[in-house]
Amino acid sequence: MKLYVKAHSSYRSDKEDIDIKKELKQNFKVDTRRKDGFIYMGLLGALRLKEQVSIERENELYITSGLGNVNILEKTNDYILEQKEYMKLFDFINMLGNTTSFYVASELGIKGKSIFQVADNFTYFNTLVSIYASLINSKNEAILGSIDLVSDDEEVIKRLLDLPETSNVVSSVNYQKLSLNAKDALCEVAFDTRFYSLDELSVILENESSKIVVSGRCSALEYEAPSKYFETNASYVLNEAIRTKVDTLYVECYNDKYKILKIKSL
Amino acid sequence: MFKKNKMANILNAYINSSQGDLNATLETIKSADVTTSTKSLLAIEGRVDMPYFTFKKEVDDSQSGIYPELKNIVTKSIQHLSADDRKETAIIIGTSIIDWNTINAIESTVYEYKKTAYYTKKRSIDSYAKDLSDELGLNGFTLSINTACTSSANAILEASNLIEAKLFKYVVVVGLEIFSDMMSSGFHAMQLLSHSAIKPFDNERDGMILGEGIASLLIGSDASKWKIRGGFSNCNAVNITAVSPEGDEFVEVMQNALLASETQVEDITALKAHATGTLSNDLSEMNALSKVFDNSIVFTTLKPYIGHTIGACGALEIAIFISCIDEGFIPKSIHHTDSINSEYIPLLQNKECHSGTFMFNYFGFGGNNTSLILQKESV
Repeated sequence: MKLYVKAHSSYRSDKEDIDIKKELKQNFKVDTRRKDGFIYMGLLGALRLKEQVSIERENELYITSGLGNVNILEKTNDYILEQKEYMKLFDFINMLGNTTSFYVASELGIKGKSIFQVADNFTYFNTLVSIYASLINSKNEAILGSIDLVSDDEEVIKRLLDLPETSNVVSSVNYQKLSLNAKDALCEVAFDTRFYSLDELSVILENESSKIVVSGRCSALEYEAPSKYFETNASYVLNEAIRTKVDTLYVECYNDKYKILKIKSL
Repeated sequence: MFKKNKMANILNAYINSSQGDLNATLETIKSADVTTSTKSLLAIEGRVDMPYFTFKKEVDDSQSGIYPELKNIVTKSIQHLSADDRKETAIIIGTSIIDWNTINAIESTVYEYKKTAYYTKKRSIDSYAKDLSDELGLNGFTLSINTACTSSANAILEASNLIEAKLFKYVVVVGLEIFSDMMSSGFHAMQLLSHSAIKPFDNERDGMILGEGIASLLIGSDASKWKIRGGFSNCNAVNITAVSPEGDEFVEVMQNALLASETQVEDITALKAHATGTLSNDLSEMNALSKVFDNSIVFTTLKPYIGHTIGACGALEIAIFISCIDEGFIPKSIHHTDSINSEYIPLLQNKECHSGTFMFNYFGFGGNNTSLILQKESV
């Protein structure tokens, strides 16, 4: 399967020291009331993408994440289960995954499909597959946003992401506009539904001429892994490959199962 | 703009609703003798007892409580598949349940009196799907969709796409909803819950009653009497909680579903309405129905029998409705006496029907609206 990237945007908390809420209010004139940090991240990436490319009303919106909005669950859990207090209306609303999708779709002017989905492993890869299948059917174009927010107590997400206690987690949001059509595309991204074993992957890597980037999870591979972790790293690597115009092969893994993304500049 | 889905069929359906398994639920529908219970919810005035459609056998709202029930239903859907076929089977769950993995991690970390030694295991809301995939020998491709009331309806559309694109041989679509203090309290805070019964499209309606449900549909290209002709999903609302009273957003999704499935309005044999029994959603839906269909449209509602099962209702209500057709009837709407539109009255007596083309509507929170069209050809 191949998809073509028409535009992209990125934000990482370790690369930019900004107040996202302030940025949204001042630079993008967003009404930030009743929203929270996870939604702010989604909006920032989306509005940066909108600066790069035209977004159509019927474009399909997919939002994915490693864990979703952990902070709001922490907050509502505290009200309901610990303090035995009632649910506050907008905390309940923000607790639902598609609330973020709704606000993003609204800012982008999208009135078509809007999906919020998570896969336990390979969430970015699996979302690419479902986008490909959807675009085959609809002949449309898709906006893919990948959001990972470090929780207020970052130990919570380290436990859930199966990371060492000392690991360095960062917040990140990355978007792409994706199409089946190569016209005016910045790069081609190839992927498939299969898993590779370590032996199969080793053969692929030996014959690969592109730059190879591996996930922090791929400890069995003798490649330098990024020192900062977030679950949808593949989305960031894709955007970096476009930005630097360096063809890249990205490897993600979990439980000895490997998946690859082949990114080729156009 | 759209292509008809020609290949994706519903191969089987298994459920657990508040009325029991599929056979028991059909018996409830035939007799219209519905069992409801109550749940204590946290409200601003303290704890209040509200009607609720709970499972007959309680399922604990926890990771360890939910998974065995889920596995029981999904196992039935794939029991006939060979090991090779299972390797070509994906699983998509549509749900709006609380992620207990995250709650457990929060409680083990944040609260000193519950603090545990650092322990890690890769978990997310999709862990149910991943664990099922691992345990049942499925492909490993999993997704969990959270688009509120449209979650498992959207999962069916996504599954259809995967089958149509020939990426998987089968996709198991699961709808899942279990009682949750947090979710129920949220709906109570929104003043959407009824104190009596769900009365869709009735002038006396006063809200929804939430319910538990699990449904598993096996989708594939094998021959089946039930074909997924197509559907459409949009994100269109005037604000985060509501569409316009005129219902034009619902009109758009129904018309696009007809277009996507190359179906004409007059081809629709009957329509399963979303019909939550809430003041605003029912009004918008009724207005939308009257713009798309003339008043000869046969439409019915299922939530009065099983409650609003939120993320599960997409798959669960399809499973129940198609089983009714297989039994030879369109189920009537209950608790309806005085329609909000005197020219459009939901079906008030079970109607004999063995085949046809059917529209299924799901109009949810967060602007997510989905309309699906299924067909059962006459033998």
